[in-house]
Amino acid sequence: MEPLRQIQKIYVSRAMMTAIIIGLVFILAGYKPIGKGLILGNIFSVINFILIGETLPMRIGKSRGKTFSLSLASILFRYALMAVPLIVAINFKQFNLFGAIFGIFMIQFIILADHLLKIITSTPEKHVQG
Amino acid sequence: MAVDVETVVKIAAYAGGGMAMGFGAIGAAIGEGYTAARANLAISRNPKISGEIFKNMLVGQAVAESASIFALVIAILLLFLDVPVPSLLKASALLAAGISMGFGAIGSGVGSGYPGGEACFGIAKQPEIASQLTTNMLIGSAVCQTPAIFSMVVALMLMFIEFGNAPLYPTWAAYLGAGLSMGLAAIGSGYGGGLAAGASCEGISRHPKTAASVTTIMLVGQAVSQTPSIFGLLISFILMFKSFPESTSLSAAMALLAAGICMGFGGIGPGIGNGMAAEGAVRWVARNVEHAGDLMRIMLVGQAVSQSTAIYAMVVSLVLIFVV
Repeated sequence: MEPLRQIQKIYVSRAMMTAIIIGLVFILAGYKPIGKGLILGNIFSVINFILIGETLPMRIGKSRGKTFSLSLASILFRYALMAVPLIVAINFKQFNLFGAIFGIFMIQFIILADHLLKIITSTPEKHVQG
Repeated sequence: MAVDVETVVKIAAYAGGGMAMGFGAIGAAIGEGYTAARANLAISRNPKISGEIFKNMLVGQAVAESASIFALVIAILLLFLDVPVPSLLKASALLAAGISMGFGAIGSGVGSGYPGGEACFGIAKQPEIASQLTTNMLIGSAVCQTPAIFSMVVALMLMFIEFGNAPLYPTWAAYLGAGLSMGLAAIGSGYGGGLAAGASCEGISRHPKTAASVTTIMLVGQAVSQTPSIFGLLISFILMFKSFPESTSLSAAMALLAAGICMGFGGIGPGIGNGMAAEGAVRWVARNVEHAGDLMRIMLVGQAVSQSTAIYAMVVSLVLIFVV
């Protein structure tokens, strides 16, 4: 499971760094709730991503019933977890709701940005001509 | 039992929240399940690279899950957000927001599972192009999410925009129509886009040298597959922003509601059909790249014909809004 851990480490560290940098910029610019909301949302996005990776191997090699129960429990737990930053942002003025929404998609943004950057920076392969 | 306006707004928000998450969970769960099923097949075919397949499955599932996270965001907002000025019109808008997001996430969730699954299986066949397959999978999955994003935008507009002093009758029906138009029309486009993206991952794993042509045709096919959801978006914008004269006649309200239903259901089939046309073209371009031009032309003609039914639905919706 080493490649799985490696990819998790890469995306988690990049997501944390990006959220902290963008969050700090907002905080320094005087938009404290947006920065705090973004960092809060990102923390839960990262936990969700780690949990997907950690529960994947747990679901393999078990009986069908156990795999189903594990998958269901994993989904319910992760979705309940993802609701936490949104509820916090709705109830506490210190956290901006839209910042938190942006934060919970941080892992997805990082994954897509990483692969788009790879496409942009790689030398284009020659098209196969007919 | 007397029910005040505040209670009606709460009931509508809770019902909308329930529908947003309940329906919104269907698609992503099926899509992720498909990815996992194909990953199992891939590991049984090539167990030595199970780590690489797991890695791809993890990234694919994380992106495929986006549609249901959109639904979760809307559901939580509906359940916990305070409505400063409760009104019956707001109740209708909140219910419509839940409908838009709930239905709108189904197609994208299922669709984005296909490229994930096919990429896992492709990696088992061609481990040396794993990175290329993952990139193609991510592009395909991301495009599949577009109809769900449209649905979320419509849901957020219904929740947050103050529509001024619009009359309750028939505007309540216009808002419900807007939610139905966007939510239902997004189903076909999301699913259809996934068919094209899945075929492109399969094609690239079969003939890696055709990747550039396959990805180009996948993107063109997906773009055309999104058109019915754009029609749905257009009708829902008209229903949200056009001002309708006050009328207590039930037929005026039903015309607006029917406009949304017509465009919503009318967009499902063409979205899937366009995706099937794109899937065929992408699959065969990978096997016969020297005829990519012909295949693309046939795909576009097929999509245009399949699209015509969505155009009929849009025309009838426009007649219901502007003429009836």
